[in-house]
Parts: sequence; C-alpha cells; structure tokens
Amino acid sequence: MGVAMVINTRIGGNTDYVDDGVETLKRYKPRSLDELATRTKFSKKEIQLIYQGFKQECPSGTVNEETFKNIYGQFFPFADTSTYAHLIFSTFDLRSAGFVTFEDFLVCLSTLCRGTIEERLKWIFALYDTKKSGKLTNDDFYLILCAIYSLLGNVANRHYDHETIREHTMNVFQKFDKLHRGYLTVQDFVSYCLKDPLIIQSIESLRTTV
Amino acid sequence: MASVAAWLPFARAAAIGWVPLAKNPLPPPPFRVPTSGASPSGNDRRCDEKIIINVSGRRFECWRSTLEKYPDSLLGSNEKEFFYDEDTREYFFDRDPDVFRVILNFYRTGKLHYPKHECIAAYDEELAFFGILPDIIGDCCYEDYRDRKRENNERLIDDRLHEDEDKAQPKPQSIRETMWRAFENPQVSTMASVFYYVTGFFIAVSVIANVLDTVSCGTDPETGYARTCGERFSRQFFCLDTACVMIFTVEYFLRLYAAPDRLKFIRSVMSVIDVVAIMPYYIGLFMHQKGEVSGAFVTLRVFRVFRIFKFSRHSQGLRVLGYTLKSCASELGFLLFSLTMAIIIFATVMYYAEKSVVHTKFTSIPAAFWYTIVTMTTLGYGDIVPKTWAGKIVGGVCSLSGVLVIALPVPVIVSNFSRIYHQSQRADKMKAQRKARQTRIRLARNATSNAFVAAKRRHEQYLDDPDIPVDKNIVNPFELQHHHLLRCLELTTDREFVEMGPDALMGGGANAVAGAHPTTGIARLGSPARQFILNRRKWWCCGDRMNNTNATTNEEELDEELGDFQLPLSLTPRASGSTGHIVNINTTNVIQHRPSSASVQHNVVLHSTISESSTNRFDLNVPFDTDDRILGRRKTNSLTPVQEQGSTNDLLNDDSHTTTIPTSHSDIIHRPTTDDKQTV
Repeated sequence: MGVAMVINTRIGGNTDYVDDGVETLKRYKPRSLDELATRTKFSKKEIQLIYQGFKQECPSGTVNEETFKNIYGQFFPFADTSTYAHLIFSTFDLRSAGFVTFEDFLVCLSTLCRGTIEERLKWIFALYDTKKSGKLTNDDFYLILCAIYSLLGNVANRHYDHETIREHTMNVFQKFDKLHRGYLTVQDFVSYCLKDPLIIQSIESLRTTV
Repeated sequence: MASVAAWLPFARAAAIGWVPLAKNPLPPPPFRVPTSGASPSGNDRRCDEKIIINVSGRRFECWRSTLEKYPDSLLGSNEKEFFYDEDTREYFFDRDPDVFRVILNFYRTGKLHYPKHECIAAYDEELAFFGILPDIIGDCCYEDYRDRKRENNERLIDDRLHEDEDKAQPKPQSIRETMWRAFENPQVSTMASVFYYVTGFFIAVSVIANVLDTVSCGTDPETGYARTCGERFSRQFFCLDTACVMIFTVEYFLRLYAAPDRLKFIRSVMSVIDVVAIMPYYIGLFMHQKGEVSGAFVTLRVFRVFRIFKFSRHSQGLRVLGYTLKSCASELGFLLFSLTMAIIIFATVMYYAEKSVVHTKFTSIPAAFWYTIVTMTTLGYGDIVPKTWAGKIVGGVCSLSGVLVIALPVPVIVSNFSRIYHQSQRADKMKAQRKARQTRIRLARNATSNAFVAAKRRHEQYLDDPDIPVDKNIVNPFELQHHHLLRCLELTTDREFVEMGPDALMGGGANAVAGAHPTTGIARLGSPARQFILNRRKWWCCGDRMNNTNATTNEEELDEELGDFQLPLSLTPRASGSTGHIVNINTTNVIQHRPSSASVQHNVVLHSTISESSTNRFDLNVPFDTDDRILGRRKTNSLTPVQEQGSTNDLLNDDSHTTTIPTSHSDIIHRPTTDDKQTV
C-alpha cells in the first residue's frame, strides 16, 4: 500500500473522534504512477486524469463512505443514496478498513472498466453478497433492489412500494435459481449470466472510457 | 461541480450491478465504445484545452471545461468570445484581478466566496459583469455579505433621504408649504427659529408651573392648613396656564393647517401628545363650571405632565431614545414577560411560606407582588419583610434571580441605542461635510474637463495652421472624433465651447459652485480623461458685469455622489450682433434662450469668445446617461442628449437660472464663430 502519512497518529477506521473540533488529518499518497500503471489496466495518462478528479473531490487522498454518498447524490439528485453507496463502498473497500485509498479505487475501477466479463460478474456477485457468505439468497436480492429503487427517489412516474420490490425480487430470483435451492453460488450466478445475451450486452454497454 | 464529472465513469462502471436485476434491457451507450482493452489516447476524455485569461495583466489559466460548468455566466458562455484577443490568444478583461481570482475559484470549486476586505459595491459590480448571481455565495460567506449589503443599502437610503431633503427645497409654492417646512426644519428661516424657541420656552414654563403649583407656600389664613402655591396664587397660575395653552393650541392648529397630509398628521405620535397636553385645560374649563366632578378634574391635571413630551420635537436625543425603545420592543417585551413570570412564582411561594406568621403583611398573593418587585429590582424598601426562615430563603433566591433576569436584555437595548445614535450622528456629520466635499470633487473634475477642452483647442489650432508642429500622437482617433463632433455642434448652434478656469470653480463667497444641478449622468467614456464635469449653465464666464445684481446665489447644491458625473450641457446664447466688441452677456439673454435650449434637453454652455485673450475658458457640460456605462461607452462620440432622468430635471424646471457670475471672470472673449478655417 502506499505511504500513509498520518499527521495525527490515528490509523484506520472512521475517525469519529474529533479532537477539540479539529479533525485529524490523514493524508494518503499513492505509490508511483508507474507501479499503478502496471498493476491496473489503465494507461498513465488515464491514471493521471482519474487521480486529478479523485484528488479534487477527496483532497486527503482517501474516500470514505460519506463521500461516496455525496458523489452519488450528485448524480441522482432526488435519491436517498445511502444504501447503494454503502454497498458499492463495501466492494471497493478491499481491506475493510473503512476508507478507500486511491489504489483500491483504481484497482476496482480497472476491474470494472477493463476487466473480463467474468471478473465483472464476480464483482457484481460480491456487490450483492453483503454478508460475504459466498451465497446469494432472496434477501440479498431484496436488499440490492431496495437500494436501487431508492436511487429513484420520489419522482418516479409510478409509485413503488415494498410490494413492488418484493415482486421484482421474486421474479428475478426465480429466474436465477433454476435449481430452486434457495441460494446461489458464484458459479451459478456467473454461468447464468454468461448464458443470457441480454445481460452480457448490457454490461458491455456500460463499459466506459475514462 | 466539475470534479463530479470525473466520477461519472466510476458511477457508470458501478452501474453494472444493476444489470442482472434489470426488468428491461438496458439501452446501448450513446457513444462508440472501444472494445479493445487498450485505451485510446487519454486526451479524448477531456477534449479540453487550457485557456488563458488575462485580467489587467494577471494571467489565469484553466481548463475550458472548468469554465463551461456554468453556462449562464459570461465566462461559461459565448459571451467571453467578445473579449478574445486574437493576437495573444487569450481573453482579456480590464477588471479587478483580485476579485477575479475569487470568481475563478467559484468555477473551480463550485463555491463563491466573499472576500471581507472588498468593498461590497465593487464586488457586486464584478459579479454583475461576469454574470454571476450573488445568491450562490457559499454559506461560509453569505451572512457577512448580506450584512454588508444591508449596511450599504441603509447608508444609501440615508444619503438619498438627505439629498432629497436638501433638494426638496424648490421654493415652496404656498404659504402652507412654507409653514410646514418652517415647522419641520427650524433652521430654515429666522421666523421658524423664533417660533421654535418660543414654543420651547413655553413648554418649559408650563412644566415648571405645573411643578411649582404643588409646592407648599405657607398656611391658609382661613383654615390654618398648609396650602400650595397653586391655591395661593391661583389666579396667576391660571393666567399662566391659559397663556401656555393658548400658544399650544395655536401651534397645534397651525401645524394641522400646514400639514400636507392631515390625517397622517393627526395620527402621528407628536400630534397625539399635543392634544393630550392641551385637552385637560379645556375639559377643566367646562367642568369647572359644573363644579361637581372636581375629583376627576384633579385627575385630569395629571395629564398636563405630558407637555414635557413635547420637548421631543426639540431634542434629537430624546427622539433617538424613543426610536430605540420602539425598535427594541421585542426585547422589552421579553424582559417584561420574564419578570412577570418570576414575580408570580416568587410571590406565590412567599405567600405560602409566610402564611403561618401572625400579623403577616403577606395578606394575599397580590400583596406579595409588591414585595417581590421591590426585592427583584434590589430596591428593598423594607416595608414588608419575611419572618420565617423559609421566607427568608425564598427572599434571597428572589433577589439573586432578579438581578440576572433584569441584566439579560439590557445589553441588547444598549447596543441598539448605540447603533441608532451613531447612525444619526453620522448623518449629521455627513451633512455638514457635504458641501466641502462636493466643492473638492468639483475641482478635481474640472481639471480633467479643462484638460480635454484644451486639447481640443490645440487640435483645432493645429488644423487651422498646419505649420504649427503638433505631435500627432497627442490626439488619438477617439479624441479626434470627439472634437469633431463638438465642433459640429458649435457650428450648428453658432456658439463655441468655452473653458472654465479654476478660479471660477472656487467660487468665492458667491458660490458659483452652486451652479451645478443634479442631472443625470455617469459619464465614463472609454478613457479616464473623458470625465466631464457637470457644471451647469451657472458657469457663465461672461455676462458677469452687468448682471451680478440678477444673480442670486443658488445655494442649493447639487448632490453629486461620487459615482455620478452629471454634466448638463448648457447653452449660452451668443451675444448676438456684437462681433468684435467686448461682449457682456446678459443674463437676460441667457434667460431668453433658456427655453429653447431646454427643449433640446440639454444645455450647452457656449458663448462667444474673444480671441485676444489667451485665457480661454471652457465650459463643457455634457449630459450622460446615468445608468448605462456601457451605453456611455458606445456613445462615446455622441454628446447628443441622453435623457436626463429622475427628479433632477431642474434644468427644465428651474426658475432660478440666475447665474452667479464670479467677478473674477473679467475677460470676455469673443470670436466670431463662423470661422471657415475651422472646418474640421
């Protein structure tokens, strides 16, 4: 990991503790550009651009969940982004440290933008699998669907409620759970998705250039 | 929030999480996605270039996309192309670089700050220029901005009020208005002052009489009791009282007659006080005849003390105090309320604590109120004291809490009083300094005006006589055109521009300075030399000899705010038919011509000049459009009348265009204006 310059010796975790109103500053510097370029699939120029944007929003060099929430809040103006941001954050937070460094961020972004389809599907699985149990159940689907619906906010043209979401969950889970085991493993998930051309195509359509 | 744009790829990438759950298939992407793993050259993300903005010499650089975040503003839209300089490939703004720094930061960070050391008016101007609404100032600076803005507006309103006061003395049309003015501003005339002091005197006399009325004056020979001076000298006191009331009544009715809005006057506080001050007397007159209700009659006399409030017309401080109390009404209300609460609480407790004592003075809770009030205000008369230990404890707590409760709202009231008092003092001071200030301003402006006119003259001389070597660089093309235009005007009207010397502006005692009338105008043409003074037609440098008698000093000054350059162009009629002679320009002539000039909507002071004297005096008055500086810039060459707006149309209304011709203008120069050589 990069050099973590900790100005006050407070390492890790969310610094809820505020010292006399002065927040502890943790400054984090990523390692060199070259190293990052080798580790990820981005070019140097791209990494530069990404870092400039990253640093602008998070001058301290690390992102916490709150920032994720705000960022999503800017893209989805009416949404309650807390759940969704939390889910995304936990996939990015590879070390479960409570904050995401630029390297983590870059690595995940590399997977998402430049990775193979399997890698991406695995990432999706990890996203759904909040309890990190290796198995997806109906409740996981329900959770993620709630998060997605809450991104809509209250301005969707048709009102939705828990019933709608439950129904949606039901439909989708049944599609996935061909064997009716009540849970899905990674392989099930990936193999199902690979077989569905719509899903593949949609994933491709979200592939973004940096 | 530009940096958010940087996160869009991340948001899109994370959106693949939705894909397996999607009810409908997702649409294809809007742009062509490179399928290969290798990224295209990183440049296409931004398609961006760095642009250079040169603000008065200081160069700022930023990405184009940074500026385009706010397409409504000048920098974010095509409007900035107007300022693009092809040669240096940068955008040039002739503005304040310090404020521009703040504005550019707004584009970068999305937050607009207000630098505290900046003048609020300058800052507002810059914001307006760059098309940014001040409402988006960030929370960190918004309070400060709002406060300063409010102060500034108050100051402007005050100033305008005072201006109006000063200006609003076009001679009052009728006796009624004269009287009203006299009442409101005792300094206006000696009559008014006399009246003011006389009423003040009688108020004092009346109050003293009231007081002395009750002093004991010896014993009554008949009954042996002591009696008051009022009873002993009842006739004298009655006469005094009658006289005072007579005066007050007359004054009241005069004010009522003079008031422009009688209903409003009747409802005003001072009028109510006046009425209350004199009513008891009249009521007493009538009731005295009946003689039965003497008890009530005596009570009425109490109201006579209200006469002392009439002093508030005479005292500024008293008015300030009254105003403060009014504006602190809420604090006072709070004080009263909390006191009442405390009184009731403590009185109740005291009552029950002292109930057991025999012959206690705390006979009821209301009786205990008196004790509580006296204790809380730390008076402690001692006429009613607790005897039980419980009562004493409660009494102690009561007095301690009393101090606290009363002390709390007092600083608020004090600070309000202080603020209002300082405001009124400031207003007075400014008024006093106003005249001196304006003279100095005028002097400064005249210098520039004279310089311009001198340049024009030189240029014309050059044109007349090509042999004179004149440095062509002196006059730039803009000036050339300007000169030409003025020349055209001269020829059109058969007049000439005349320069005003500085001594004319000093104006000695006769205050020729008073000439300027407020007309519109900010004139700020392209370059700083173009600041024309608004000196109105008062500036006749000629025409003084015979007509000083006609000239009355118009004491009413223009209120020239520093920002306003008001330049009316005044026309001096040319002394007709007397070419080659020294001409005394008649003010009567002036007056005759006035109407015609007025119709041209500006007055041009031109008058004939005699070439022999080298001291040409120019009087250059040019009206400009107040509101539109940019318009002014576009109209640089057009001195043609811009409307004179606002209340300052004294040009047309002014019946007193008497000209104060300073006697220092001894040379009257005359030159026939139809000089063919002078074709420019």
